[in-house]
Amino acid sequence: MSDGSITRQTHLFVRAADDASRALSRWLGRPTRISVRRLEALPLERAVGVLGEGEGPLVACAMRISGAIDGILVLACDDPSGLALADMLLGRAAGTSTEWGELETSAAVETANIIGCAYLNAMTLSEGPQGTTPGDAEVLPTPPWFVRDFAAAVMEGVMLSQASDGATIFLTHTDFVIEDSPVTCSLLFVPGAGIRTDA
Amino acid sequence: MTHPPAPSRRNADVAPTPPATRPTAFHTNAIGIGEIGVARHEGVLRTFVGSCIGLAIFDQRQRVAGLAHIMLPDSKGDLSQPGRYADTAIPEMMRLLRDAVGGLNLRLAAKMVGGAKMFAFQSGVTVGDQNVAAVERILQGLGIPVLARDCGGERGRRVSFDITNGEMRVETLGLPPAIL
Repeated sequence: MSDGSITRQTHLFVRAADDASRALSRWLGRPTRISVRRLEALPLERAVGVLGEGEGPLVACAMRISGAIDGILVLACDDPSGLALADMLLGRAAGTSTEWGELETSAAVETANIIGCAYLNAMTLSEGPQGTTPGDAEVLPTPPWFVRDFAAAVMEGVMLSQASDGATIFLTHTDFVIEDSPVTCSLLFVPGAGIRTDA
Repeated sequence: MTHPPAPSRRNADVAPTPPATRPTAFHTNAIGIGEIGVARHEGVLRTFVGSCIGLAIFDQRQRVAGLAHIMLPDSKGDLSQPGRYADTAIPEMMRLLRDAVGGLNLRLAAKMVGGAKMFAFQSGVTVGDQNVAAVERILQGLGIPVLARDCGGERGRRVSFDITNGEMRVETLGLPPAIL
């Protein structure tokens, strides 16, 4: 993984975070800030450890992306962070959500949808995949799929969905601040064949 | 033992392992993605699986067992990390088991879990399905009976194999643990 590749992905995530901040602010009607604190390019085996060694439950919303760009985008967090985010998104007092019901799940999925679409827009508008003109690439995301499971099992499922045994993932540590209340989540992009990871 | 980190020998005799595998001297030993652990006499081998397979092969008389975390069905000739693939992990684990007992004859049996479909956008014959089929086919070809299995579904599993009694404990979030 070259420095150039990481730099390019960092620009994409930062731009996507800006777009997603605006979209979430509009949706919530409250000031919302999503910021990328750090980005890493890792073999997936190591990324599993980054998300907690698999012991505790992990909440993830995954979108499969196909078309001109191929990969899986995952928004992941632990239970406390995810439920805190749900409270913010649903306009509830902190600590109201204690388990993943339909509303909490829906809030997480909607967040993933907004962030995912912002990321895809940033990716296609910034450069597009190889051989395409920026802005012309047709990209087809699936609806986000909500999973709450062991972190290791989730990450393994992401990698094997790509039928790849050597996947490099881009992992961002992302801060959400909604009306001055912070929540930390991770946003991951597992690139498929249409994305250069070696340039 | 030629590869770092050198394990302590607290509870189990340890089979020599190549760099792609993890030495298993600890009482409870975590097996990572694409790794193989082998231990003798006592101890617990643990791993997490989603679409991958957690395969235990063991001889209860000899109190020797291995646990592999198999990612994909076919190595396509890649021998660099034998624990990753069904067609290389199983022969490698058998070699490690034989080494662990000093070449004694083994009467091997297997237990397996995993092969889940973790995401709805996985369609058709999933990698998990292919993993299950490949492991079963290879074990059948080697004459190793599968005594218990918990495969498929849509949930990840935490797997613990106890060498002292040959029990495989399978935990799924939100459900009581099962003993295979």
